[in-house]
Amino acid sequence: MTLLEKMDRAVYATGIDRIIFMKFKPRALRWTPLLAFAALVAGYAVIAGSVASPNRTYLIGTAIFYGAFMVAAFLRLFGPRFTGTANHPLDERELTVKARAHAISGTALATFAMLGCFYMTAADLPGFWHPRAVDWMNLGFGIQAAGMLLPTLIASWMQPRPVADDED
Amino acid sequence: MTDLYNRIAVFRAERGVSRRELAEAVGVNNQTIGYLERGDYKPSLELAMKIAAYFDVPIELLFSFQPFESVAESLRRAAAVGE
Repeated sequence: MTLLEKMDRAVYATGIDRIIFMKFKPRALRWTPLLAFAALVAGYAVIAGSVASPNRTYLIGTAIFYGAFMVAAFLRLFGPRFTGTANHPLDERELTVKARAHAISGTALATFAMLGCFYMTAADLPGFWHPRAVDWMNLGFGIQAAGMLLPTLIASWMQPRPVADDED
Repeated sequence: MTDLYNRIAVFRAERGVSRRELAEAVGVNNQTIGYLERGDYKPSLELAMKIAAYFDVPIELLFSFQPFESVAESLRRAAAVGE
């Protein structure tokens, strides 16, 4: 067996080809994105609460937050299809689901950003939480993660119960 | 929203066409055909016409705003007319 054949076999054995060529079956992920959301919010809160004096808690918060970020990126791959392939482009139903899911999540994120802007007008008042530079950076990643999780969550709830292949 | 009924499953069974074959012929995911048959998805006019063209029947034989008569009922009625 040549080196290239061995490398090919290793790729198939690990299942990486299924991710790269999107060979896996899309799933409706109705609850897992909510868990990732909860982890994002919890991680962000822990970081924001301990950023003044970084310690072990700060590291745990960072691990939770960025772990949830990674999970968000993976859930997007394994959830409802948002990207077609050359052999299987998205059909009209999938395009509709994708458009609606992204429209709803875009509106939700815009509303969140708007409320954040209103909050910032009061953030300088005593007793109000004022984000630091690290908090802003994490917020940017958090919104990015939410932008991946929300469409997956919404599209999963928009999908009817799958039709079994053996019904063919 | 108005319900849209179809008898894609009946035509498919009659012609011995699998869901996957029909999906490939009209250019959609086979889950989409399943959702259509189950009434979970309403097709675009383009898709409805493609499916009708595939079975070579007028579109109103496949899709209707009224529920279709069951096959058993149609056969019973046809037999009664024959007598």
